[in-house]
Amino acid sequence: MIAQAILSLLLSGVLVYAWAEYRRSPVVASLSVAVSLAGLFFVWVPSESTRVAEFVGIGRGADLILYLWVCISLIVLLNLHLKLRTQQDMITRLARAIALANVVTPHEDVMGAVPDVPQPQTGAPPAARAHRSTQMDDQIA
Amino acid sequence: MRSIAPSSVWVICPAFNEATTLPRVLKELRDAEYKVVVVDDGSSDDTPRIAAATAAAVISHPINLGQGAALKTGIAYALSQGAQFLVTFDADGQHRISDIACLLEALEGADFALGSRFLQGSQQIPLIRRHLLRAATLFTIATTGLCLTDSHNGLRAFTRRGATALSLRQNRMAHASEILADIARSGLRHVEVPVTIEYTRYSMQKGQRTADFIMILLDLFAQRLYR
Repeated sequence: MIAQAILSLLLSGVLVYAWAEYRRSPVVASLSVAVSLAGLFFVWVPSESTRVAEFVGIGRGADLILYLWVCISLIVLLNLHLKLRTQQDMITRLARAIALANVVTPHEDVMGAVPDVPQPQTGAPPAARAHRSTQMDDQIA
Repeated sequence: MRSIAPSSVWVICPAFNEATTLPRVLKELRDAEYKVVVVDDGSSDDTPRIAAATAAAVISHPINLGQGAALKTGIAYALSQGAQFLVTFDADGQHRISDIACLLEALEGADFALGSRFLQGSQQIPLIRRHLLRAATLFTIATTGLCLTDSHNGLRAFTRRGATALSLRQNRMAHASEILADIARSGLRHVEVPVTIEYTRYSMQKGQRTADFIMILLDLFAQRLYR
């Protein structure tokens, strides 16, 4: 009875999470709801899991749940991976925007790279840096 | 024959902790009168200071993002400066400056000129490296349909139109394959040009480790998943 109470509590937590998550990603939320409802059902009627397991050709209900759990974990991992990639993509764009806003053009006077910009310190020593912001938002996107 | 003035060419030099080789590379590039933009990819050594002494422009990533990201940053900058021709050039000293002219010449009938170390015979390429590169080339042919002899050469030249067609979403080393996929998709013409790679102990140490090829495959696979 104690185990059932704890499991029910945890699974209810998943339900609440799914509800909160629904607007951000309906697919993940729906899957979570399905999984936690199935979990609640099996927690309270364990014999049913054995019936389902036998129906799909697996010996015990506990085995069935273990296999399902492995699959669900893999899907969650994949989802996390994709989220990380998105984050990395955002960080890249942020870092690139910062870098392109702080281009150092030390030899503008020598190279004449950008004629339309006032030239900084003519005859400055090579190591002297001329910081200059460059407007190029269209290029960063 | 149209000849390309070096001053209309931007050489993009991604550099991550290349303080050892960068001075020589930059000096040679400057002597050849190319415009050079060094993309310092979050180096912790003297790379940005050394670059500022010679290059026309230095862009510093605040954090290390990877060579693909550095190339993209450099290309975006060069395009914003009105570059008509763009060259990618590794900062570790493995390329020859004189090869750039050959690539630019090849852009006469194409939008992409790609360096290949396998087009001319008798080059000193370490054995394992040679086999890995062969495998990478086969992979490229299988996935993009481009018939190339060397799919992972850091020396390339693009026209402005060509550079605009590149997406470069791969931050790390998988960008080499990605560039080729973009070239295939763009439908623009490409040519391969024989170039020489200098395999020094330094460049072998700095360059790709053999195990990195596995990560490259993973990166490419992951991109397929969510494109």
